[in-house]
Amino acid sequence: MTEDEIVLLARQAGLNLPAEYLPELLDAYANVRRMIDRIPVGRPRGDEPAHIFVPGKFMPVGE
Amino acid sequence: MADLPFLTIAEASNLIATRQLSPVELTEAYLTRIEELDHLLDSFVTLTAERARAEAKAAEATIMTSGPVSRMHGIPYCLKDIYETAGIRTTAMSKLLADNIPARDSYCQEKLVAAGGVLLGKNATWEFAHGGPSWDVLFPPARNPWNPAYSPAGSSSGSGAAIAAGFAPATLGSDTGGSIRGPAAACGIAGLKPTYGLVSRRGVIPNCFSHDHAGPLAWTCEDLAILMQVIAGHDPEDPGSAKVAIPDYTAALTGDIKGLVIGVPTTWLDDEDPPKPATKAAFEAALDVFRGLGCSIRPVKLPPLRQFDDAKKTIAVAELFTIHGKDLRTRPELFGASLRYRIIAGGLVRAEEYLNAMRLRADLARAMQSVMETIDVLMLPTAEPAGKLQPIPPSSLFTKSSFTTPFNVGGNPALSVCSGFAENGMPFSLQIVGGLFDDATVLRVGDVYEKATPWRQKRPALAVAETA
Repeated sequence: MTEDEIVLLARQAGLNLPAEYLPELLDAYANVRRMIDRIPVGRPRGDEPAHIFVPGKFMPVGE
Repeated sequence: MADLPFLTIAEASNLIATRQLSPVELTEAYLTRIEELDHLLDSFVTLTAERARAEAKAAEATIMTSGPVSRMHGIPYCLKDIYETAGIRTTAMSKLLADNIPARDSYCQEKLVAAGGVLLGKNATWEFAHGGPSWDVLFPPARNPWNPAYSPAGSSSGSGAAIAAGFAPATLGSDTGGSIRGPAAACGIAGLKPTYGLVSRRGVIPNCFSHDHAGPLAWTCEDLAILMQVIAGHDPEDPGSAKVAIPDYTAALTGDIKGLVIGVPTTWLDDEDPPKPATKAAFEAALDVFRGLGCSIRPVKLPPLRQFDDAKKTIAVAELFTIHGKDLRTRPELFGASLRYRIIAGGLVRAEEYLNAMRLRADLARAMQSVMETIDVLMLPTAEPAGKLQPIPPSSLFTKSSFTTPFNVGGNPALSVCSGFAENGMPFSLQIVGGLFDDATVLRVGDVYEKATPWRQKRPALAVAETA
């Protein structure tokens, strides 16, 4: 991914950072990208993530 | 009782209950020691001395008339500075929260107050329990009592240092990838990351919602059991809180571990990330202790360490950005450089990537629980002995694997205890991991080990020399 593409992604995330932070962003993203690229993809449609919604967990306390 | 600051919770509690020790006297002993020595360690960022004196006096009065309400009644403690405390500054070590005074106590603080504990103050942490060690945040980093030139690890760094130095017998930390167990290991004390959901996170400033655990650090496993009795339990205000029966953790310390089956993740230790020879030798010596106590040891195979790190850290960076995005967009200069580096790219993680990491977490958790069903506990070193306190590349978070993160991914209870000392005097550590909600067994095994070995007899020279 080019520097311009990473800057565009950052802008889409609302990060219009001062130039001094750009090297930090590029280096950090390279590390994050390497992790993401090792994560398996192409999973079955119904493969549920480790994230569930339990409605009762969000009842107002005391009711 | 010349060594009041080195009493365990259990010892002090017994003396208080039998009216041989006053909570006021005990509290003064800790406050004096902190005043005299903490400039060497920077383990506290806020001292609540007057409040502590008032609480100790009140505890003494109640105990004299009606006896203690709990084992923590009249016992001083401290909190990592991410636990919200009503009316007391809670900073997470960050310039962003320099003036943050919460209106309400965290769940754990409420429980400790109800148990009659005496709050001494708030401990240093890495910024928002994630970025560090840092010299560009609100306070200087804590130092290791075994050698102040060395790191106490993080992120519950001040908590670990304070216990080892004899500044308090009890503290609470948080653990998202090893932040209780790392400092416990580095400082030669006991630290428990409870099962996910067993201790409420309400009022603990978040690091990464899906992996955050609140838990205790103390000198011994018996003391951890006493603290768990106070803080474990269902909290309807924490969506991650589990509704499970809470056992009597102290009663579970029966001393009986004969016949227990101990698993060792040999592929991690032999192939993927072998410990240094001295660390390996200390671990083998610990296993020999358990063999001598009638346990059997067997190799087990878990998924690669790297997968646990990739899943957890991808999830974490996205959750961290969600928590800190507004501040990153508007005032990035207020973050320490270490934390900012570790979260700045989180906004670039796409939803699909986050959810695929969550799918990998599900695979890893299933694999972890399948292995745990075949053994009673898993054992491995917690970490290498502490190194010098110096800036570390923030990228190391993403590139280095750890022996602690897998149990945040799985949610299993994981304990670190001291397992000896290296040639340079820094502690070795042993990690003991249990099945979900079997925290009592983990504490029982740790308690037996502590009593079968001499490591609890030695305190940091800093403390001994300064108080002789």
